[in-house]
Formats: sequence, C-alpha cells, structure tokens
Amino acid sequence: MPTRDKRHQEVITRIKAIMKNISDDVLLRQTMPAVELPKIGYDNTIWSDQKRMLTIGNKTVQVGPHSAKKIPTFSQYLVMANAVRRLLDEEMESTIRGMYYATLSTVGDEKNKQKFWNSQEDSDDAIKAIELMTNVPREEFSVTSKPKGMISGPINLLVGGDLIDCNLGSRATSQLIPTNIRDLEIVDVKADFVMVVEKDTVLNNIRKSGFIKKYNAILMTGSGEPDRATRMMVKALNERWKMPVVIFADADPWGLGIALRYKIGSESLSYDSDRLVTPDAKVLGMMFSDIYEYNIPEVARLAATDEDINRANDMKKKPWLQDRQWKKELNLFLEHKEKCELDAFFKHGFKYLADTYLPDKLREAGII
Amino acid sequence: MKNKTTVEVINKDSKNVSSSHQVNSNYKSKIRYDKKAESEFFVDNSALAGFTGERILYMAVRELLENALDSCESSHILPVIHLQLRILDPDNDMWIISCKDNGVGIPSEKVPVAVCSFLTSGKYVEKQQRGLFGVGLKMIAAFSTKDTDHPLRVWSKSHDEPESYFDLRTDIGTNKPIVLSRRIVNKTECEIEGESGFKVEAVLRARLSPVTKNKIHDYISHTSVVNPYAVLNFESDEGVVAFERRTSVMPNPAKEVLPHPADMDLKTLRKAIVNHAYQKTTLHGVLCNSFQKMSAEKAREIVVKAGLELKLADKYNEHELIRVVNVCKHTKFQSPNTDHLSPIGEKILTAGMTSEYTVVLRKDIHEDSGPHTQLSAKILKPSLTAYSSRTCVINNRPTIVECGIAYGGDLGSFKLYRFANKIPLLYDEGSDVAREVISEVEINKMGISKKEVKEQFRNAETRSDRAIEYLPIHIFFHICSTKIPYKTAGKESIAAEGDLKRYMKSCLSDLYRKVSAQIRRELKIKENENKLRLYKFYIPFIVNAISDSIRIDVKKLTSAFNGLAVKYIGNELAVTTNPGAFANPAEIEVGLSPKGKIIGGIKSSKKALYPDKRTVDKTPNRSGRHETKEKHESDFENDKKSTQITLDAFRKSKLRKV
Repeated sequence: MPTRDKRHQEVITRIKAIMKNISDDVLLRQTMPAVELPKIGYDNTIWSDQKRMLTIGNKTVQVGPHSAKKIPTFSQYLVMANAVRRLLDEEMESTIRGMYYATLSTVGDEKNKQKFWNSQEDSDDAIKAIELMTNVPREEFSVTSKPKGMISGPINLLVGGDLIDCNLGSRATSQLIPTNIRDLEIVDVKADFVMVVEKDTVLNNIRKSGFIKKYNAILMTGSGEPDRATRMMVKALNERWKMPVVIFADADPWGLGIALRYKIGSESLSYDSDRLVTPDAKVLGMMFSDIYEYNIPEVARLAATDEDINRANDMKKKPWLQDRQWKKELNLFLEHKEKCELDAFFKHGFKYLADTYLPDKLREAGII
Repeated sequence: MKNKTTVEVINKDSKNVSSSHQVNSNYKSKIRYDKKAESEFFVDNSALAGFTGERILYMAVRELLENALDSCESSHILPVIHLQLRILDPDNDMWIISCKDNGVGIPSEKVPVAVCSFLTSGKYVEKQQRGLFGVGLKMIAAFSTKDTDHPLRVWSKSHDEPESYFDLRTDIGTNKPIVLSRRIVNKTECEIEGESGFKVEAVLRARLSPVTKNKIHDYISHTSVVNPYAVLNFESDEGVVAFERRTSVMPNPAKEVLPHPADMDLKTLRKAIVNHAYQKTTLHGVLCNSFQKMSAEKAREIVVKAGLELKLADKYNEHELIRVVNVCKHTKFQSPNTDHLSPIGEKILTAGMTSEYTVVLRKDIHEDSGPHTQLSAKILKPSLTAYSSRTCVINNRPTIVECGIAYGGDLGSFKLYRFANKIPLLYDEGSDVAREVISEVEINKMGISKKEVKEQFRNAETRSDRAIEYLPIHIFFHICSTKIPYKTAGKESIAAEGDLKRYMKSCLSDLYRKVSAQIRRELKIKENENKLRLYKFYIPFIVNAISDSIRIDVKKLTSAFNGLAVKYIGNELAVTTNPGAFANPAEIEVGLSPKGKIIGGIKSSKKALYPDKRTVDKTPNRSGRHETKEKHESDFENDKKSTQITLDAFRKSKLRKV
C-alpha cells in the first residue's frame, strides 16, 4: 500500500479528533457538544495596517445542537467532515459541487420531509467550516471548485507533471488556471507585468489585439468573482516572481468589489487572506471618472440599480475603504448613478481598449 | 316585507314610446295591473329567500333547523332535534327531508296556515330570533307542491293537546293551505314522544353537489358549536351523525321589547297610536307607553319641541306626526336595553368551543362494494379557550358582539366561525367584517411575534401571508341584534357598519391579551416539540457521521444523545415556564409531544350585560378547571372589582395546577 499523502493523513487525524471530542462530550461528559469556529463576516473582519489586507478577528461562534437553529448546521458540519474523511481515505478528489451531491439526502418523516441541504451554498458553508475546524484550506484536502480563471502570456506552468506554455495558444485561446493547486507549479515567467481583467470577453479582445507581444504582458481573468486558485496565482506572480500586477474591472460597485478582492481580500474569506491577497496589486480601472474622461457615449452607460446604490453606500461605510481615492470614486458614482462596463470602449472601436485606454492607464501608473 | 302587490308590465316599450313617437301609436297597449298572491310572488322570486338551484336542500336544512331551535328556545326546552336527509328517487332527483323537534309545537288549528301560508309568523315582534319573516317553512311547502305530487306531512303536538297529523299542500295561487287529510294520532302510532313537539317531512326535487353537501355538514357542525345544549342527530344516506349535548345551560330566551325612540318612524308611531285608540290618551301618553327609554317628562318635552297643540293622540295628522319623528331623531336617549337580545354567553360558547363537533366524510373501501363514504363525527378539543363580549349600539339598534378563541389541542389549523343571531354564516367569508378585524388586530397583542409564529408553524397548510393563519386557532364571532347589517340580500356576510368593526376589534384585542400568557406557553411547548423533532431527525446524521469516522457503538451513542437532548429541553422548560412541569424529563421520549394541557376560559371583564341572569347555571364545566363562579353582584363597580379578584385567583390556581 502506497504511503498516503502526509497532509491528507493530517486532515484525517484532525477530523477524527473532532469526532472523538464530540462523542466524548455526549458519552462521558454528558454535555451538549459544540464546535467553536471563528466568526465570519463584516463584524469580525479587521483591517491590518501591517499586512495591508483584511484579516479575521477574535470573535467566535458556538455551533452545536444546543440551539434549535443550529441543530441542522451542526449535523451538516459533521456529515461534511465525514465525507471529507472518506474522500481522503479513498484518495480521490472532488469539486465542491461533488461534495454537495455526495452528501445529499432528505431529513424527517413522511409528514415533515425536507432537504438536508437547501442549496449548494449550505454545503459550501459546511466545507468552509471544515477548513476552519481543521485549519487546513480545502485545496489541501482535495476539494476544489470548477476552474474558471484564465491565463495567457509568456509563462510556463507544470500541471500534474505536464509542462504547459501559456504563450503558445495565446493567439487562439487562454489556459484555464487549474484549481487543484497542489498539482500546479510555475516553472518560469518571462513577462514585464501581469494584467488582471474582470471578464474573459475583455481578456479575449485584448489578447486578439496583440497586446501580449507588444507589451510583454501576462493577461489573467477570474471570470467575475475570482476563485482561490486565480487569486493565489496572482499573489505568487507578484510576490515570488516580482511581477507588478495591475487590475482592470468594470466601473460599477460590483466590479470595484472584484478588483478589491485581489488587493485587500474579502470578508467571507478573511481567514485565508494570507494565502489569497496581493496587497501590492494596483487597481487602475475602470474608474467612474473614466466614464467622463474617456467620453463614453450615454447609450453605452447603464443606469445604476437600487442594489448597486446600496452596495456603494455599504462600501462607503467600510473602515478599510476610507481612502480618499475610493471615496471620491464612490461619491462620483452615487452622484451620477451611472455605471459602465469595460466593453463600453468597443463603442469607440474594437481596438480602442487595447490600443488607447489600457496603454494610457499603464503609462500613467509607470508600468510601461 | 310588505310586498304584496307587484306590477306586471305587459309591454315594456309602451312607456318610452308613447310621448315622443306619436306616430307609432299602434304599438301602444294597456298596462294591466295585477295583484299577486304572496305565495306566487315568493315562488317566482325564490332567490329572495335563498332557494336557488344548488342551494335548495341547504336552505331547507337551514330553515328546518332554525325553526326547531327557535321553537325549543322560546320556552326554554333543551332541544332534541332529528334531521333526516335521504334520497327518495335518484333518477328524478327526489329527496326526502324531515325534521323533528321537541319544541312547543303548533296548536292544531293553526298548523295548516303556519306551515303553508307565506308571511304568517309568530315571530313578528321586536326580539332576536333566528327566523323572522315567515317564509322558510312555507317555501319548503310551496316547492314540494310545485315540484312533486307528495303532500307535506306534519305531526304537531302542542301543550295540552293530543298529537295531530296533517297531509298538506299549498295553493300557490291564493297563498292558502290545502288540507288533504287531518287526524288525531292514536297513542300507539305517536311520532312525538315528549310533551310537545313538531315534525315535518317533505319531498323536494333538487340536486346535491358535493359542495352543497359540505356546506350542509358545515352548517350543522357550526350550529352545534353555538348550541351545545342541543342534541342534534343528522341522518343521511351516508350515515348518522350524533351531536351530543355538552351542557344543560341554555341561553335566556330573548324578551320582546318596545321600540327605541331613535328608531321611530311614521309607521311605528302611527301603529302605536292605533294600538291606543280605545284609550283616548294624549300623544305623550302614547309615546310613554309605546317606546322604551321614554319618561313622561321626556315625552312632554318632545311634544312641546314639535310645536304641537294638545289633543287626543288619534287627532293628529301625518304632517304633525312627522315633526314628532324629526324631534326624536335629534333628541338624545339612553342607549336601548338589550333584553330582547339573546347572546350565546360565555358558558355556552365555551362549552361549544371545548368540544367542537365536525362532520367528516370517511372514505372506506370495501372489498365487495368498492369505495364507500361514511359519515362520522369528530370531536376537537382545544387546549385553551377564552371569551369576551361587547355591547354597543349600531344603527340605533343595540348589538352584542361576542368573540371566542380556541387554541391548540386537536385543532390543526386556523379557522374563522361567523354567526349572526346564532345562525352560522358560511359563504362570502372574504368580504365579511370579521376578516378585516382579524387582519387588522396585530397578533403581537398575544405577546408573540409574526416571525416566531411563522418559524414554529412553518408546515402549516396555509397559503396566506397572515401570521394568525399559521396558528392552530379557531376564532368565533357572534353578532346579535334585531337588525344585522348584512352586506348583501343573501345574508351571508356582515358589513363594517358604524362602530361595529371598532367594537369587534376591541373584543378580539381583549381576547388576545387574555390568552397571551397561555399562548406563550403553548408556543414554548410547540417550540420544544419542534426542537425535539429536529433532534429526532438530525441525531441519526450526527451519530452516523461520528461512528463512520471513529469506531463507536451506534446504539450507545444514539441513546446517550437522545437522553441528552430530552434532558436539555427539560431543563430549558423548567427555567422558562413552571417548575415541575417537566419534573421527570426521562419520561418524555424523543418525538413524543409533551403537552401541558391548559383548558378553560378566562372570565370576561366586561359582563355587566345581564346582571340578573347570572344565577342560572351551576353545572360543572366540562373542562373541569374552569372556575365555577356564582356571584350575584348587582352594581357594575362591584362586579368589575370582583372580576379582577377572580381573575387573579384564577391565574394563581392555574399556575399551581399546571
């Protein structure tokens, strides 16, 4: 029998210890068992000046069958923990959706039948709880998400032993960033800087225009909300390979949020900021002020929805967004109540974005 | 309802045409003025009495049952009623319906007229009764005559008379009865066992849809809720349902009263004068004697205000009399008295609420005869009830609003019961004022929040958004008055006239406050039940996850965990509710609902209504824990104080008992 991965063995040991503790609570100590987890959310998110990123605070929550609301949650955590243990025992890998399906079941009798998980969100939360309980990120116990990050440019990756030159196909397509980062290694990088854009459509447009060759850049996207692998790749390129990183997202509160995800982290993953956040990344655009400076025609602007406005107001209140630049931008947005996507530059011509706007911004920031 | 003459327009066009189009004078024809008999009018306009298509049998059941109850109650006889509805000839939709009561019966010489002639009634007086118009029974007789060749069969035995039997039909053209046969029943073939009684049997042609059938069942069940002192037997082709007597307390019969002057009009005034014609009295004498709340002084003042000279009452002309009416409309009088009303009362409604009878249809599948429906009665016992009432004046008529609440126990879901003068209202619930009242009184008056309710009763089968409809609660509204503000001619829903809604709301709020402590406790019990269920559902998941990961005895862990859960809930209960309620948590098994039964009503604090009537009932209440209170205070202040004291005492005793 081949020796099992040491990290995996460690996770199994930790899960078993948790289970043992709970059964001891019930059998020996005769008290209601509970697991204590760091609290996740705004009120337990702290800005760290020293690390320049969001970190998790000291608040904790007790999850256990003592409260009616937590009974289902508690059993969900345990069921998920056992599923993870089984996954590692069988030396398999799974996506978070796979874990959801593996643990699907119904609860209750004929009269009060309900689902064990209301949706995949519940099972994702349970997986997060396992991360917190074992203090091991889920990639380390082979639970990953579907890859959606993309990379294109002069960089070579070693994925599961295969060498992939991300520059080769760059005329036609981009390389998906694998999510099982344990199998991923950056071999070498020959670029001058890394540019992250919000969406793959924009990335494709820029790639087609010959931007990579012209400026010797690596293009990346998280296709919306970036997954963890993409964030880690950005961080690795910036910190280990000393690449300057610039970020372009849409000029709306959502886009700004995505850009900041790379730079300062997020409330929901504040416990993992050390692995995910790239504090030196520069958010260059698209600024709300760009809408007016680059004279985006009115037909290409979108009216802000109530949700956008609420989000912007929320962001204004966050202590870590009190920077003068962000305040100014958010106020501008709230004043005009207009948003704009990067794609809006196509109104000025298909090559305008890659040939005019981006070089302008990069020059301004001293990258090229 | 003096609608004796109708105008029949032979040619409708003639009126319009005559003046403007002289040329077409050929089309002119004479309008013939006919007089129609009452019977013919009502048969032609049967919708006025509710006898339309689908609803004929429902209305027949209703009329017969109401007559029977009225007949018993007017003489304070505990009703025993047998109602029968069977199919006679399925091919021709012939039904045989009969109703037998132990009421006062009808004197034999009056029977044919009382049964067959429209607008003949012993109920044309100012007091609360179910029937009023003298139409219902006649309608059955007329329809039976119209649609079938069967005579109406009547047995009647009134006091000091032998039982008589009649075969009757109605002469619809003249509103007169046709007596086919008539005889004294000899002792051996008596239909009526008691001292007096009445039985009628008719054949009707009608269809009975499932909807109507349910309405008939509902009607009988609802009637039994407000008449728990009546024995009701309902016999149909699907079985017999017996509603037992649950209390021997009967409401005091309503008394006939004089009209209130604020409600005076020319007709009532003239009628009063005619009644006094032989006495040669003055106008103010007539006023004093014919209207309530009218002192001699007040009467004189009114005559002076009207600017009338003194003469004999029958010497005034209409123009002078209308001035008296006008003055009365502008004068303040004391509120009308309520002797002519007969509310259900707390004891009776509570008896009805603590054992609600409902008719259920059971579908049995027999091996040889296939599916077969069987009628049976189901008794619902709630875990708590409460009662409250208000007296008010709506449209110059004294009105009593009664409201009751039954909660928990066997009750599964929300239900609203509406009664007007003890008659159940079954249709048009959506537009009834009671609906508005319920949606406007916030349930947090019960000390519980909407969120809490929706959380605990998530599985309630309600499609409504209103939190109250998630609760297993039955709300009863009874409005009694000599003039109920019905919304439509169909008399199925009540309009929010005058202050009626305000009084109903205050009544309901009052109840909510009264039950708040118990509801809170009930909700806590429910919460713990839900929690126990959660434990029951989720502990297997937890145990399996653990035992799958580390080797451990499933049975041992499960039982330890179950014990822990029960102990945990037991402790929680002990802290939040009464010590001792769950002294021995080990007795409660997971999944078994621990029920602290709380039965009993709370005394209404507003009951200066009938200070003279409270001595009647000493029957022990069914609930057992209901306080038997026999106080005879006469003045209101005293009454209020003592109510307060008994309320406190009541609470204390309850605390001890639970």
